[in-house]
Amino acid sequence: MSDGIWLLLGLLLLAYLGSNLVGGRAIRGFGLPSGSEYLVLGFALGPHVLDVLGRSLAHTFEPVVLVGTGWLALVVGVGYVRVGERYVSPARAAAGVLLGIISCLAVCGAVYFAAPFAGFRGFSRLAVALGIGACASATTRHSVRWVVERHGARGPLADFAADAARASALVPPLALTALFALAPGGALPAVPVLGRVGITLAFGAGLGLIAALLLGRDFRRDESWGVLLGTGLLCVGAADRAGLSLLGAMIAMGLTLAVSRHRLEIKAMLTPTEKPVLLPVVLLAGAYVNLKLPTPVFVLVGLAVLAKILVRVLLGAALSGRVARGTGADFGVSMVASGGFTIAVALAFSTRVPGVAADAVLLFAVVSTLLGEWLAPAALRRSLERAGELHAVDPSELGRPSDAPALLERESHG
Amino acid sequence: MSGHGSAQKGLATRAVQALALAVSFGVLFALTHVIPSIESRLGTMTAIGFLVLAGTLLSELIEPLGLPHLSGYLLAGIVGGPHVLHLVDHQTVKQLLPVNTLALALIALAGGVELKIETLRSVAKSLTYASLIQTFVVLIGMGGLFLALSRFIPFASGLELRPLLGVALLWGALSVTRSPSACMGILSQTRAKGPLATFSLGFIMLSDVVVVMMIATAIMLARPLITVGASISIDDFNVLGHEILGSISMGTTLGLLRAVYLRLVGSQLILVLLGFGFGVTAALKYVHVDPLLTFLTTGFVVQNLSSQGPKLLHAVEQMGSVVFVLFFATAGAELDVPLLKQLWPIALALCGGRALFTYIAASISSRLANDAPVVRKWGWSSLISQAGLALGLGVVVKSSFPSVGDGFGSLVIAAVAINEMIGPVLFKMALDRSGESDRSAPAARPSLPPPAGAH
Repeated sequence: MSDGIWLLLGLLLLAYLGSNLVGGRAIRGFGLPSGSEYLVLGFALGPHVLDVLGRSLAHTFEPVVLVGTGWLALVVGVGYVRVGERYVSPARAAAGVLLGIISCLAVCGAVYFAAPFAGFRGFSRLAVALGIGACASATTRHSVRWVVERHGARGPLADFAADAARASALVPPLALTALFALAPGGALPAVPVLGRVGITLAFGAGLGLIAALLLGRDFRRDESWGVLLGTGLLCVGAADRAGLSLLGAMIAMGLTLAVSRHRLEIKAMLTPTEKPVLLPVVLLAGAYVNLKLPTPVFVLVGLAVLAKILVRVLLGAALSGRVARGTGADFGVSMVASGGFTIAVALAFSTRVPGVAADAVLLFAVVSTLLGEWLAPAALRRSLERAGELHAVDPSELGRPSDAPALLERESHG
Repeated sequence: MSGHGSAQKGLATRAVQALALAVSFGVLFALTHVIPSIESRLGTMTAIGFLVLAGTLLSELIEPLGLPHLSGYLLAGIVGGPHVLHLVDHQTVKQLLPVNTLALALIALAGGVELKIETLRSVAKSLTYASLIQTFVVLIGMGGLFLALSRFIPFASGLELRPLLGVALLWGALSVTRSPSACMGILSQTRAKGPLATFSLGFIMLSDVVVVMMIATAIMLARPLITVGASISIDDFNVLGHEILGSISMGTTLGLLRAVYLRLVGSQLILVLLGFGFGVTAALKYVHVDPLLTFLTTGFVVQNLSSQGPKLLHAVEQMGSVVFVLFFATAGAELDVPLLKQLWPIALALCGGRALFTYIAASISSRLANDAPVVRKWGWSSLISQAGLALGLGVVVKSSFPSVGDGFGSLVIAAVAINEMIGPVLFKMALDRSGESDRSAPAARPSLPPPAGAH
């Protein structure tokens, strides 16, 4: 049997584990908050350590990885407006997006000024800055969920943390959409930059609308997966071929589906697919990490990580006492958490800007995720403790995104 | 695959579907014709998306014409494929072929699960007569017809009688093959229940074993006729015996393991099926065991030696709703339209002859077996389709006899193309007219758990 089959079986096994993690109580008792153990596993299997997962073999699965990143954006988009049983409040969503944009711009600025010392000039300077900025902007909602569910937290701060984390996921796809529109080449050279951004989002939204119309008319068991998979893959493939951001197009598609008549059914279909897709993507990303980079690139990545922590601490301090009790520098540190989605953003970046810039962005995403794993959950726990929100409820009473079918049932009766 | 019950769909629904279909064709047309120079690593993924979406929509749009969904999937592939609009190129079609592995595994599993011992027992007499008579009549009849038409067949017209007899024997044997995938596809769409559905499923699934044995025999007998200096070797039977017994024992083991898994764990069945489809198939091919027969046995064991059959069937159907669309759409894209254009008169004559002999054999066997009237009238209709199995065996014949292989292979492709398009239409029409198709609305809301009382 070929190596490809073995790798495929390994990834399926991982997806199987991922499905079980989504399915039950495992979320509270098993694994790390951001799932970075799979990142480390991928790195260990990759060319730098055991070389079980060689570079060429790992790259055979690149199309699957890229589709996986797009699919994650779709899932994020579809679930964007709800956290468990609650709708995300517009004010908190705006705050989350704003925090993400500030982080993105601050880190992007720092990297932009330092990038020439690492050899990045011209477009690659802007690309590496915006790519790292995009990866610095989102807080993983899994880490927040992990802490909140494990400690049975409930209250304004827990809600704010969950909403802000979910809302911040919009920033990286938008940043990449802008970056891809700015990139030279591509299929639409005559269209101005803003036009390309508009086309990316309109294309995703258009396919989302078509999918919503097809599903909305007659939501039938047999066609729903065909329609979602068909439109999703077409969206990813067409965006990539046209040189547009597949993450931007897919999140636009997801957001369109999120406001459709069958949003709950669609969410119930898509949410269970998130972990099975995420874990193989994260594992392969671990194998893609390239450490054979010039030293200044490592310095640049280190600087970017420091900039991210600093801006988050400052934002946390600025929020102190404004949105909820318990906010402060600690809360800022808790927002450092990043995870699979950030890794997906770094992988999507490489579709348009390959080479050292892509390696640097992926390295930043990986370091940032590992560091966030170490710092963020403890910081969030301290913030929640200070706010008096820990152990407010029995963890089993807290809704999870995977409860969507139950929510749907409840909503249709109520 | 979609079920019935969509007759109530209004004009607005059809308009939305037509619009969506136009958009999917338009997007891919723009990508491949307006910006063809830009390479994408996601070409295969885009093609999968297009074929699944276009296949699903086209199958819906042709539904009011009474055509099966399967024809819609094929049509989407043909129109979007390399020979018509060239939205999906040859290279991409080749890259999509691993999907066949998965689809065939699912088809065989589902086929095995559908074969209940008590049902088989009730139609055992019919199946025995049909197997014997269909095999004999179609083999002899088609061999004779091939001989009679040989002067019109480009690669056979110059052959001497001895090799011609060998080629005719091979053609006759290949004509006995049926299409388990088409049968399962139509039964899945129509959710038909009744004597005709039971007979068709039982006959076609069991004929797999008969056909594999018959092709091996035909190759053994044809070798000294076609190849100068070759002799009959019973080694072929040795290999075949190993393959069949190995498949049944592997299938039984896998079936028992699967039943235990379903009973004790019972979750993530789609991922398990994916692993099964790709991983186990590769392992079976590695040890020279027939995957189709193995999976058929697996499904049969799960159904008849445990209570987990319905659970497995549900998972296969859920996954098949996408995989089968892609499988048939890829088959459509693979279809060699220029070759069909070139060989259609002779291919059509041979297909017509095959349909006639199948009909005659069905009439004789159902009379002898005293079948239900519906089987007597329509029993032949499910036996017209040919697909992957015939093409696969065509490749075996082609590689076994290089002197006539190319011409033979082309004619197989052309004939299978015709049977692949006509067969499913006939079978669906028969199920509809016999009243065995389920016309109630199919289940909605896929991701919701069934009501508590449903188990």
